[in-house]
Amino acid sequence: MKSEPEVRAALRDWVVRTNGQVSPADIRDDTPILERRIVKSLDLMDLILFLEELRGLPIDVEALKPGVFRSIDAIWTNFFAGASV
Amino acid sequence: MKSLAELSAQLCEASEKKYVNPYEYLDWPESVERERWYTSPELVSLHGTAAWDALDEPARMRLSFFEAVNFFSLNIHGEKALIEGLAHRLYAGGSAGHSDYLHHFLDEENKHMVYFGGFCSRYAGKVYRDRKVAFPREYAPGEEDFLFFAKVMIFEEIVDVYNVRMSKDERLEPIARRINLIHHLEETRHLAFGRAITSELFERHAPGWSEETHRSVAEYLASYLRATWKEYWNPDVYADAGLPDPYAVARAAFDDPACRARRREIDAGCVRYLLEHGMIAEEPAP
Repeated sequence: MKSEPEVRAALRDWVVRTNGQVSPADIRDDTPILERRIVKSLDLMDLILFLEELRGLPIDVEALKPGVFRSIDAIWTNFFAGASV
Repeated sequence: MKSLAELSAQLCEASEKKYVNPYEYLDWPESVERERWYTSPELVSLHGTAAWDALDEPARMRLSFFEAVNFFSLNIHGEKALIEGLAHRLYAGGSAGHSDYLHHFLDEENKHMVYFGGFCSRYAGKVYRDRKVAFPREYAPGEEDFLFFAKVMIFEEIVDVYNVRMSKDERLEPIARRINLIHHLEETRHLAFGRAITSELFERHAPGWSEETHRSVAEYLASYLRATWKEYWNPDVYADAGLPDPYAVARAAFDDPACRARRREIDAGCVRYLLEHGMIAEEPAP
């Protein structure tokens, strides 16, 4: 299991790589990545696959609630720290 | 060229004439042997990659079984979303519109899920999960309807290429061939309707869209095409087939030149249609 800083760094890398235009300096852990369309809704399937691989556990997509992908902070809280889904 | 109303009337007649009872159409074997072909080897997601080369024939056949379960599962998820969207559009705005044909469309999509779900439940004991997520958003006038039918068209055109090829492939187990065949026969009508309504909606609404909407619609369709393809490289399939490190296998194979070339060859007709009608401005990367 990766440490919290490693997970957050991996998430930031994924966001930068997926968007292709933003730089790591543009992304803070509380940046609303969906609201600002840095990550688009059709990228979420890729994100789910990435998160499943990173945490070594499947994600129950039917149990997802609005806001779980809002920011790197939200992703950490929902999929790693508490692993609610 | 026929109007959409004329085409709908003709398709209704064909659907009535070729009505199939889904509970009588197939003879379901009690059980199936997994080390047989259920997906044409050339259409198995790993075909042409190092991971494929490393498998012996029985392992490739086992993989082809789970690939069929995945193909049928992604069809179930696609058709569930389609049924929801079609039901929403029945008698929308108080007018019958194309509802006469939407009744057949809904009926036939429901039957397809009987075939796909029947195979998955009987022989795999499950339907693979869906990883697509959609959040509500704002649309320009007509954009939501257009995108709904454009997505249906993209999804169904890719599926139909697989159906046509596998319905003719004598290496496949009869049950797999027959499901692909019946799906193709009914989808032919849906594809005709899908292209006609997509272009009709685009011609009606696109002239009123801003440049920004045109750009985001084109971008969305290219992303949808990629997301649709992504479901064919499912790590859950590789895990069930006994492959180690299934997520890495999925990532590597999706980006493999052989798989990119296969995607490009299969979606060529659909991409050409989108380009010729100005729905996308350039060919998306495969």
